[in-house]
Amino acid sequence: MRWKFIARVIGILLVFLGFSMTAPMLVSIHYHDLAMKTFIQSMGITLVAGFILIFLSKSRGSDSYINQKEGMTTVALAWTAIGIFGALPFYFAPDFTNFTDAFFESVSGFTTTGSSVMTHIEGAAKSLLFWRSLIQWLGGMGIIVLSLAILPFLGVGGIQLYKAEVPSPVPDKLTPRLSDSAKILWVLYGVFTLFEIIFLLGGGMPLFEATCHALTTLPTGGFSPKDSSVAQYNSAYFDYVIILFMILSGINFSLHFQMLRGKTMAFWEDTECRFFLGLTLVLTLLVAWDIHGSVYASAKDAFRFASFQVVSIITTTGFATADYEKFPGFSQAILFVCMFIGASAGSTGGGMKCARIIAGYKYCYRELFKIIHPRSISHVKINGLVIPDAVLRSIMGFLALYMGIYIVSSILLAGMGVDMMTAFGAVAACFGNIGPGFGSVGPAENFAHLPAMGKWLLAWCMLLGRLEIYTVIILFVPEFWKK
Amino acid sequence: MKIIIVGAGEVGYNIASRLASENKHVIVIDKNQDATQRLSENLDIQAITASGSNPKVLIDAGINETDILLAVTDSDETNLVACLMANIISPTTKKLARIRNADFDSYHNRFQTENPHIDTVINPEIEVVNTIRKLMDVPGAVDVGDFVDGKVTYAGIRLDRHSPMAGMKLVDFSSQFGEDRPLIAAIIRKNEVIVPRGSNTVEPGDLIYFVSQTEKLEKMLTLFGKKALPAKRALIIGGGRIGERLAKLLERDSIHSKIIESDINRCHHLSEKLDKTVILHGDGSDKKLFLEENVSQTDVLISVTNNDETNILVSLLAKNLGVENTITRISKSNYFPLLATIGIERIVSPRLSAVSSILKQVRKGKVLSDISISGERGEFIEAIALETSDITNKPLRKISFPKGTLLVCIIRNSQIMIPTGESIVKPGDRIILFAVKQAVKNLEKLLTVKLDFF
Repeated sequence: MRWKFIARVIGILLVFLGFSMTAPMLVSIHYHDLAMKTFIQSMGITLVAGFILIFLSKSRGSDSYINQKEGMTTVALAWTAIGIFGALPFYFAPDFTNFTDAFFESVSGFTTTGSSVMTHIEGAAKSLLFWRSLIQWLGGMGIIVLSLAILPFLGVGGIQLYKAEVPSPVPDKLTPRLSDSAKILWVLYGVFTLFEIIFLLGGGMPLFEATCHALTTLPTGGFSPKDSSVAQYNSAYFDYVIILFMILSGINFSLHFQMLRGKTMAFWEDTECRFFLGLTLVLTLLVAWDIHGSVYASAKDAFRFASFQVVSIITTTGFATADYEKFPGFSQAILFVCMFIGASAGSTGGGMKCARIIAGYKYCYRELFKIIHPRSISHVKINGLVIPDAVLRSIMGFLALYMGIYIVSSILLAGMGVDMMTAFGAVAACFGNIGPGFGSVGPAENFAHLPAMGKWLLAWCMLLGRLEIYTVIILFVPEFWKK
Repeated sequence: MKIIIVGAGEVGYNIASRLASENKHVIVIDKNQDATQRLSENLDIQAITASGSNPKVLIDAGINETDILLAVTDSDETNLVACLMANIISPTTKKLARIRNADFDSYHNRFQTENPHIDTVINPEIEVVNTIRKLMDVPGAVDVGDFVDGKVTYAGIRLDRHSPMAGMKLVDFSSQFGEDRPLIAAIIRKNEVIVPRGSNTVEPGDLIYFVSQTEKLEKMLTLFGKKALPAKRALIIGGGRIGERLAKLLERDSIHSKIIESDINRCHHLSEKLDKTVILHGDGSDKKLFLEENVSQTDVLISVTNNDETNILVSLLAKNLGVENTITRISKSNYFPLLATIGIERIVSPRLSAVSSILKQVRKGKVLSDISISGERGEFIEAIALETSDITNKPLRKISFPKGTLLVCIIRNSQIMIPTGESIVKPGDRIILFAVKQAVKNLEKLLTVKLDFF
């Protein structure tokens, strides 16, 4: 393990993070809010920490090759560091009383979860709310992918970091050069964000709120500068614009890239995308059917609210236009399952990801098929391509770990005195990077009342979920550290 | 006329033998010493032991004076390179290549217009698979094929005792069946090809070749007392190129199919390429596997391994287990006469169809197709009637057809006409004739179409 290299990468990322705090400062200047000092303090600490790390790790060797192990360690530690230093503006702000809450909010932001401990959002400084949205935006496409796109320093070692941060079950490099791929992803991401801002402005949303919402829609984050999230506006137009962009963010970004290159049928030809869109539609109709009459009188409203909640949860965004805890049990059950399914691989969404669900289903079917035809030979295929057995095993391992960690974390949280429904709901929401859960952490409530230990546990779950388990959990396998 | 054949495998050998018997100047190039030796010992041709894709070898063989180059090695790449080099050295030489890999399928037309300007790309496997597909849907037929781009079908049917037709005289057909009577082209009785006249009768056990419009085929079959039963479940033994292509075709037609293949690597390959087909790893002649997979429930069993003997045994075993409809791939033509006696009649032969499609492609003039039936004992010839030939512009009864030939039907404006003594063939009509092997030469004279090449 070459700690110097790891420290250097983290140092550079912290400097980068520090400079990104200039954006909320500009907002602060514009609105003359009181948070300027907060950001100056945070930026100072972050930059100093970053430069110290870079200075300490200065080495003459220009060997930028790193192995998979180092890549995973770097990414896991970098995300933790970013979570800590990103929490500083919250910690220094009057809205937060302790570091636990600030760290929770920061990790919830960077991991695009969107679970909040803030009880009175609209009362906070505008610049702090902007920072809250910005960290989701930075975390969504991956802060390391971003640094790969704009900083050429990582070189060959970048691929290991990229794989550790974007552990898609079916990895696809868009272009032969990694930094070009990263650039394409970020340009696409930025352009979509811009479009959403324009659409929201077109519907009459103020620029600040439109920007904040766009910055948290594209990473499927879910922080809103409003107390009652998107429900505040009660506008079908805003709902549908946000639904559209949530769906776009839930689709593999390489498909967007293919679309732009003229493959117009790319969405339809991709098995996972077809599954994701089809499933979303079916679940929306089921929920709409369920809440029509029992919650909403008109079919139009039922569809509007059903589609918003289903899309918001399945893409793991976590915006809310309705309190789904008031829905009938059937709808709640569907939304709960959506938390696990998640969006597509290669999107900004979390959860297990549709590709893994499809692969897992096909794998199980193959096993059953083998019982019926003992001598048959068959492969699991997605998009007509064979999934190698090694990848398949890793997917099955992922699914098993996902459920295992979910259950253990839920029981631990319940052991901290949280009621069962809340415990299972909160872990599902944080692990899947969704945001609102069930029980006392539903869309109408927040996470503030949870015990401090519980918040650390959930923050840990968010990191596990965002980095897709392996990158983080591998650090806790003793074999990993043996020389 | 000089012809260079690259590749002395089964196909190369058989084409060489056909062409040599028609007094063409044939040179065969193959890397394999044994193969070339076999050729030069058995046939009146020149054999060169060298690589057919090597430009120096091609020049030495006289590619510049050669009219036709046939690249028929087992390797697509060699065939392509041979054509490419021939195209560079001697652009006027006609080129024909056998290309079997399915991934090349969509480029066949571009090979003609762009480099290497291959005049004809043939893939006998496509034809074999199409034949199998046709046979599958016509369980009673021993042989099926088509003319006029699929509008007219010929079929060979073994007449059984219960058929309403058994024992009838052909002259009685028109009174019995009216307009839609079957057009009988040939009767094969005890290995003897009979070109029928009105006085002939059809007997149980005869193999009857008839021609019909493709859309009326089903109706014709009922006249013979046979039913066209579209297959729903198929079992393919052997996952080679033919098995794979067939399975792909069946997937498209949503027929449930299984492939049994003995090579595990090939199984993996098939499983990658095919979606719905069940791939089974095992021996095709393994009775236990057959029972495990409920072979008696399949509608049709197709054995297409590379081994004739295995195919024969598998088909026999399947018949024994209750599968009525079996199709067997046979490569060795000397097996053909034996197979009828053990009840294996539905046979496909990629080699024969390669030879006949190459010959068809190479033929010049107005002959559209030339199909050998029943182990080359007779031929269907589809041709366009020429003004200059004796056959046009007079009633048929005034034309003396050579012995052993029959004008089966006339197609004018895509209408099939059953010829009578008063019928007149007009120039430009498509005609389908049948001739026993010995009569083919005389028939050519009558048509004034030389069965010439390019």
